[in-house]
Amino acid sequence: MPVVQRNGAGISLASAAAVAVSLLMCSNEVWAVPSFARQTGLACEACHTVFPELTPFGRQFKLNGYLIDNLPQVKGMTADKSEALLLNQLPPLSVQFIASYTKFNTAVPDPNGGPSQNGTVQFPEAFSLFYAGRIAPKLGGFIQVTWSNSSNTFGWDNTDIRFADQTTLAKENLTWGLTFNNSPTVQDAWNSTPAWRYPFNQTTSLAGSLPSPPPPSGTTQLDGIGNGTVAGGGIYGFWNNLVYAEFSAYGASPHNISAPLNSAFNGEVVQGVSPYGRIALQPTWGRNSLEVGLVYFQDNVVAAGQNVTSGTTNGFRDTALDAQYQFIGDDNIFSAEAIYIYEKQSLNATPGLSGAFITQTSNNLSTFRLGASYFYQRQWGGSVGYFSTSGSTNNQLYINGTPNTSGWALELDYLPWQNVKLAAQLILYSKFNGASNNYDGTGRNASGNNTLYLFAWLAF
Amino acid sequence: MRIGVWGGCLVMWACFGCSTQSQQQAPPLASQVCANCHGPRGDGVSPAFPRLAGQQAPYVEAQLNAFRDHSRGDPSAVAYMWGMASQLDNRSITQLAAYYAAQSPIPGAPGSEALMTKGKAIYEQGLPNEGVPACISCHGPNAEGKDNIPRLGGQYPAYLVKQLAYFKSELRANAPVMHAVTYNMTLEQMDAVTIYAASK
Repeated sequence: MPVVQRNGAGISLASAAAVAVSLLMCSNEVWAVPSFARQTGLACEACHTVFPELTPFGRQFKLNGYLIDNLPQVKGMTADKSEALLLNQLPPLSVQFIASYTKFNTAVPDPNGGPSQNGTVQFPEAFSLFYAGRIAPKLGGFIQVTWSNSSNTFGWDNTDIRFADQTTLAKENLTWGLTFNNSPTVQDAWNSTPAWRYPFNQTTSLAGSLPSPPPPSGTTQLDGIGNGTVAGGGIYGFWNNLVYAEFSAYGASPHNISAPLNSAFNGEVVQGVSPYGRIALQPTWGRNSLEVGLVYFQDNVVAAGQNVTSGTTNGFRDTALDAQYQFIGDDNIFSAEAIYIYEKQSLNATPGLSGAFITQTSNNLSTFRLGASYFYQRQWGGSVGYFSTSGSTNNQLYINGTPNTSGWALELDYLPWQNVKLAAQLILYSKFNGASNNYDGTGRNASGNNTLYLFAWLAF
Repeated sequence: MRIGVWGGCLVMWACFGCSTQSQQQAPPLASQVCANCHGPRGDGVSPAFPRLAGQQAPYVEAQLNAFRDHSRGDPSAVAYMWGMASQLDNRSITQLAAYYAAQSPIPGAPGSEALMTKGKAIYEQGLPNEGVPACISCHGPNAEGKDNIPRLGGQYPAYLVKQLAYFKSELRANAPVMHAVTYNMTLEQMDAVTIYAASK
């Protein structure tokens, strides 16, 4: 997937187009990897309902540092018989290959007049390499590098390296650890948070060099901040398979810079330390599991060209409420997820439609996602999702006064084998960038961006 | 805390043969890996994975060996336990089996009256016309099992039904006698007898 520089200021059309942010688009896609199957000897279904969604056991595997291992090991030992080295004899490597066809309801205008080609084949659209599994005793990782068709380069993708251990607290098991990662929520274990939610794979034809509708303006930091922007780490604990708590902090770590980071970097930079907190409660009973939780993230972002340590910043405070339910039967699997993110914005250095910094600096933005899926025997199934962005009225910032965008994401899936997914996805927009009709002033309607996306997703 | 746990493990392993029920320290594998599906003391997490608390140690050993050498190949075994057991050594298998056998079995809960009545009849008398022997003759009056014959009391009925179906279809082929037992059983009869046996 293309490594996308994203920001939540959602600002002028020019900068929105430059960062190519979409309400739905998330480059943090695909996290189920045969590397783990090779390392553990477990079939995909042990950890996934249908990849990439995790089962309760899969969440335990992740929170335990990706360490459960049944491969022969290269071992090293100190004089006092503690482990000094534990390397898999076979490295847990895997790849994924995604090929696709994308078509919009209304062809996107060509910059030189007339319509662009509508109905684009990408073969592949994306190709990823993974190392996923044990690195050292008690240290494991999920490391992804992705070639994307739109950029025609390999870029650094999702990475989560963690130390994990177990102890007891109040006579019950406590899994605890440290996570080091490059995107808030990439370390999360539930499929409701932005890094891991439905739709798990989306067309990249809304971004990059392909002609495409301009993305919706405005997305929250939690929705949009991704790898290639920040890096950070934190400490977490999961007690009695029931209570999860985490505190992490992030700082700027943009790609494509020559150190030290300074105002010559042509991108937005997170200033200082950005805290992240997450709590979740996960009761389970019989074949059911339910999660309810909160996420908090805040950051201050310096605009391109400003002094990275002292420049005026745009401030963001995100608070999210999320939930997930799963029923995992022998033949029938049903799951549902929801997340509501509310963001308070202090846009102190944000150019508006006129090019000048906006004076209505205090705004809010919220996004809501709801998804539900059903699978029969992990082979046939589908999902229905609803998405919505709404925000403060701000005529300095949004061409239609608000960033409001909403619609439905529908998908049908067939998996002839556990690691091969064939899918047909339909995104239907009822509102786009604040209007249903003529949202861009040239007569393009929200429904014109309705997208048919057919893809084959191979993980091996 | 870790040092304390390891110290406890060393003490427990030193008097392994004389450990008391429910007091035995869990081997690290049991508490850190097996517990994710089977529960901290084998007391269960989901009917997808069997309870192990109070299970007969020779039976658990036999199953772990069967997973390791692939002689037990029902779908759940292939998906989960072949990988889990592949790197277990004989000592770990023995320790795990002894640990779970020492745990207090989960008390059974009765099912519907109609199924319990029907199930009790099958459990105690078999189905002579269909050539199905009485379960009590091997699994005991309280479904407690013995040696290589597993405890059924306190187990998830849904798990037991699935095993009977696997025995009948030979998807699970590491107990030929159970294929003969279930060959003429209907699903309704399996439902009834497992609800009764699990209630013990």
